[in-house]
This record gives sequence, structure tokens and C-alpha cells, in this order.
Amino acid sequence: MIERMAKVEILGLKDVALDAIDLIHELGTLHIEDLSEKIGKMEGKRVTKMEPDAKFAEHQASLNLLREKVAEMLRDLKTGLEEVSGEEVEREYKLLWSDNLQVMIGSIERLLSEISREIKDPVERKSDLMVELSRLEKYAPIMAKVQPLAARVSKMEDMASIALIIERKYKAILSYLNEEISKVTKGECEIISADVDEESTAALVVFNKRYLKQVHDFLAVQDVNQVRLPSDIAKMPIDEAMAKVRARIAEIPQELEEIEKRLNELTRKYTTKLVAARNAINDRLQTMEAMPKFGQTDQVFIISGWLPEARVKEMEKALTEKFGNKVVMTVTDIREEEQEETPVALRNNPFVRHFELIYLLSKYPKYGTIDPTFIFAIFFPILFGLMVGDMGYGILITLLGYVVYKKWNDKPLANMAGYVMTVSGAWTIFFGAIYLEFFGNLLLKALGRIYEVGGVEHVKYFLGTEHSILKYPIDRLEAFGLMFAISLIIGLIHMGIGLVIGVINGIREKNRKHAIEKGGLLAILLGAIMVIAKFGLAWWPVYATVIGGVLFVGGLALAAFGGGAGGLVEGFVAWGNLFSYIRLYAIGLASVIMAVVANQLASEMGKSGWIGLVVGVIIFILLHALNIVIGVFSPSIHSLRLHLVESFGKFFEPAKFKYEPFKKVGGEK
Amino acid sequence: MSEAVRIGLIAVSAAVAIGMSAFATALAQSRIGAAMAGAVAERPELVGSAIIMVAIPETMVILGFVVAFLITGLKTAK
Repeated sequence: MIERMAKVEILGLKDVALDAIDLIHELGTLHIEDLSEKIGKMEGKRVTKMEPDAKFAEHQASLNLLREKVAEMLRDLKTGLEEVSGEEVEREYKLLWSDNLQVMIGSIERLLSEISREIKDPVERKSDLMVELSRLEKYAPIMAKVQPLAARVSKMEDMASIALIIERKYKAILSYLNEEISKVTKGECEIISADVDEESTAALVVFNKRYLKQVHDFLAVQDVNQVRLPSDIAKMPIDEAMAKVRARIAEIPQELEEIEKRLNELTRKYTTKLVAARNAINDRLQTMEAMPKFGQTDQVFIISGWLPEARVKEMEKALTEKFGNKVVMTVTDIREEEQEETPVALRNNPFVRHFELIYLLSKYPKYGTIDPTFIFAIFFPILFGLMVGDMGYGILITLLGYVVYKKWNDKPLANMAGYVMTVSGAWTIFFGAIYLEFFGNLLLKALGRIYEVGGVEHVKYFLGTEHSILKYPIDRLEAFGLMFAISLIIGLIHMGIGLVIGVINGIREKNRKHAIEKGGLLAILLGAIMVIAKFGLAWWPVYATVIGGVLFVGGLALAAFGGGAGGLVEGFVAWGNLFSYIRLYAIGLASVIMAVVANQLASEMGKSGWIGLVVGVIIFILLHALNIVIGVFSPSIHSLRLHLVESFGKFFEPAKFKYEPFKKVGGEK
Repeated sequence: MSEAVRIGLIAVSAAVAIGMSAFATALAQSRIGAAMAGAVAERPELVGSAIIMVAIPETMVILGFVVAFLITGLKTAK
């Protein structure tokens, strides 16, 4: 049901405005009305929007900056926020929170500089080491290739060498370099090369020391990478440098591990404080950002909003206790024209509450109308069960739903979905028992209740015969007429409840024509069904047919009176909607046919030896698994659609606003 | 008309009933699906409504399936 709301206006002296806003924020029950638009339209302008002074705006800017810094620090520390204890955060939050903004900002700034000091060195050292490791890892294979070549060069006293690294696809440039360097050195040079990996080639340019400057100058203007070793090893003999590089490559990961340990300690030490700071900043900014929604005169501030009727006394008491007669709260009646603006909160019993999941697809119902969640809670699982209708599938769906429900107890959406699935699974088992289906016709076969005539399988009924209207089990493959009728009757009840709610909503909103139109549509559906029944059921009494005819014609007249030409058209559309419920049978039929095919294929395979048996079992599992997946997805979608389009479409008026109280939430904003 | 021709015609009729309605549904779903994919890219919260919207034209193929199923039942009718 929709929670009854109270419209309140809070007026007080301006010197306690900020404290009053803080108290309302702390209580967290008032849905604020944005007065800025109303104030904008006022003439005379004695009331203005509440606007912060320059100092206040400066604090707001500081808090925004601090919010960025805290978020950045939380990212740097790679904190596992889910591991943070709520109680500890709350304790730190209270230490940081202050009514004096300057004090609060100062505390957070001190905290941030303390953390910066502590993490600066390890973070910088970590970054340096990572750069060094990456460079050395790049040098190591190049040096390994160049080492034997350089060793040969070192024996030639007058010769110098320069190592180059070239992308393999540009390897051809080596012959050009050889040609050009030969010109520079007058033929006293040689280039030796070896591939390092799939992408690069290392080359050693060996030349007479006399031409060192000329060769360096030439290479400087060419677009080739010279291997420049870190300064401390550049002058070492290649063997020594190589050993040094290998030793560093082995040392650096250990150093990194040490730093990582230190950073983890700091993370553990500061995460709680940072999360508390983030929450405090967000909460403080929230109050600041809300201020332009309030009004003020020279002496008085004005806050307007809604809260659940049950919470009015609590708010009144808190304001009186803290501010005495400096702040006054008045409760005003919600006028009819204000119902549209009134925020909506739902208060349902625990069973129905889980089905509020439907409001992921739709807005809340308008204030003053009937909350249809109970229709969804009753009918969704029934329609789902009617469509899937298999005890085996039902058991699996119930178990899966229950596991999801229990495992994600702290995640509202998953928890709700698990609950809905469990209840739907239970109805699937119930209808499975009516159809006596267990993984298709497996149970019927095991009980020997299937016989074949001309290659077509039939069911031996426990109760009734093939021609009886009431029989057990109901074989969905043969009971077309019965299932068709059941689908239409369920549709009539489902849509009928929607139309009755439409009538009640019309009466509540004092919209007489709306109520008459919905009543007319209901009469059209009922009347037409009563007339059609005469053609299907021989025993249907004539007087019921006549009443049906009168209802039908009367309904058309009422629909036309209430809704004009649109009402008449709606009458015919309603008929289309009613026949849309035939999907309850059709989707189930598709599912049962697939299950029977899975069983037939598996049993045929099973007849051809043990390999066939294994293949048969695999086919059985795969096809039934596929059928269950389709069997969960498709009936859910169609059951949802029958609610949102066929039933809710007849009466549902969406709310403009959901009840979102002005309260401390902390967290990432 | 021979029995084989009669059964063949029944099968073709059932195939046309389900085939045409499936084609029409596919056509409608492709248009709605494309439009809803665009809408969801802009406003991800519409994903639930998108699934319902895409499911709306399925009524056609569902009714086509029921009709095809009824037609196949004629093969045993005398």
C-alpha cells in the first residue's frame, strides 16, 4: 500500500537555520519540496531563495576539492571498501563531523596531509623501481645478444662500438647505415646484428675510435635507437654490466614486495578514516546543495516538504526540544491538486515487499491511487507456474531461487529476485502436479500412463477420459479447449481486478467519467464472455446469455460516455488484451513439446548400446537445461508483460516523485 | 485427395501460419530492438522497459504457434 504522507512547513528564525537544516538532515525523514520555482513566480518578492554567503561558498568549494582528493587517495591506496567496518567508520565520522565548517575542513585537511606524508616516499620509490625494472628487462635480452659481439670488439684496441636497437620490420635500414657509416669512417667499420625477439633486432656498429665523434653525430640525425644504459653501468665492461643488470632484475621485485607491504599497512591504517572523511564531506555538501531549495525572508527561513504521517510527531518533538519556539512546524492538508506532486513511499507486508521488484520497470503508483504490488505478488508466480508447469523444473527453479535469496541477503535486488523465483518455482511445482509433468512426460512414462496410437502418444487418464472436460492429469498437448478457457478466465480475472482498481481510483480522484469508462470496459469483457460461453457450453443458461448481452451493450454505452470515442476503441482493445492471455497456454505448450522431444531423442539414443546411453544422457541434460533457461526467461518476460501492458495498462497512473528523504547517506556521490 | 497430399497440405499450412507470424514478429522486434538499444545506450535504466518492449510483438508468433498447433491437429481428423 501507499504510505500516507503529511505535508509540512517549517518556519524559524534565520540565526538557527543551519542548525535546523542539520537536524532535519540527521532525522532523515523529510522529502524536501524545491521552493525555488514557486518563489520565482511570486510577485512582490518578500520571500527569496536561501542563498549562501561568500564564506559559505568558499567552504563549499573547499569541500568539493577535498572530496576529489579523498577519492583520489582511496584510488591510490586501492582500498577494499567492502572490508571496512561500518562501526569504525561511524566512530571516525563522529570525530571528523563538526557543526563548525572551518573546524571540519581543518580536520580533514590535516588527515590528508598526514596520509600524503606517509605514503609519498613509498609511492615514489615504487614508481621509480617499476620504471627501472621495466628498463632493465628491456636491456637484458639486448645485452645478451650484444655481449658476444662486444667481447670480440673489446679485443681490438683501436676499435669503438655503439649498440643499436631496431624494429625487425625496418631491419633493411642496416645496409643503409653500413653504407653511410663506411663513408664517414672511410671504410673502417662493420655492423654486426642479431634478432632479439619477434619485434626487435640488436646491432653493434664497430668502427675506428678516430671517428667516434663523426659516427655519433651521424647517428644522432638518423631515426635509430641507440641502446643507452643507465649511467652507473654505461661505462662498465659489457660482462660486468650484464651481471649487474641481472642482479638488479632479481633484487627489484623483493624491494617492490617490501614497499607493497608497507603500503598495505598504510591502507589498513587509513582506509577507515578516509571513508569516514568521504562520507562526512558528502553529507555536508548535501546539506549545502539543498539550501537553494529553501526560502527565506529578512528574519525567517522556510522549509517545505513531505514526510510519512507516522514520523510527524518525531520531527515535531526533535525541533521543539532543540529550538523551542524559534522553529515552528505546521502540518497542512494535501490538496487534491497537490497529489500529483506528493512523493510516494510504499509500505507493504514482507511477502508483497519482495515483489516491489516490478518498480524497476515502472514508476511508483501515483499518490492517492491503489498500489497494485499485491496484484503482481499474487499473479506473477501463478502465471509463471501455469506456463512452465513442470515438477522437475519447478524443483530446480525453487532451489536456485532459494540459494540466490539466501546468498545475497545483503543485496536487495538479488534478494528480491531470489524470493520471486522461489515463490514462482513453488507454483511451477503445483501446476506440474496438475499436468503430472516431471521433465516432460518422464513421470507419465515411468507410471506407464502413455500409450501409442498410429505413432502418436496419448495419456491414460487417472480421472475422466479424453472427452471429459475435467480430467486428471491435464495433458497440455491434448487439452487445447480447456487450457484456452483457463487462459481466458485467468485473463478476465487479472484484467477485471485492474479495471475494478481503475474504477476505485476514479472514485478516489473524483474523476466520475474515468470510473464510468473503466466500469464500462469491465461490463464489456464480462458480457462478451457470458455470451460466448453459450456457444462452448451446452448447459449454459439462456438467462446468463441475455444478461451477458445486456452487460455488453450497456458496457459499450458506459465506455463511450466515460471515455468518448477513445472509450469505445478501448473496449475493442480490451478484447485484444484478453486474447493476449492465450500466451499462458502457448508458451507452456512450446516448453512441454521441447521437453517431450528431449526425452524422445534421449530414449532413442539409449537404445543403441552404452555409447548411445551416454550420448542420450548428455542430450537429455543439455536439452532440458536449455528448456529450463528458456522456461525461466520467457515466462518471466511474458508474465511481466501481461502485468504491465494488459493489467496495469487499464488503471495505472505513475507517480511523479518517489519519496527520497533528505538524509545522511555518505558513500560515493 | 490422397492421404499423403492431405497431410502435406496440413504441414505446409502449419508452416505458413508459424512462419509468417515469426517473420512479422522478427521484423517488428528488429525495429524495436534497434530503437531500444539506442535508448538504453543513452539511459541504461531503461533496460527493463526495453525487454518488455521487445517482447510486445511476440503476441503475433505466439498466436501463430497456437494456430499452427491447431492445424497440425487436423491430420488425425477424419
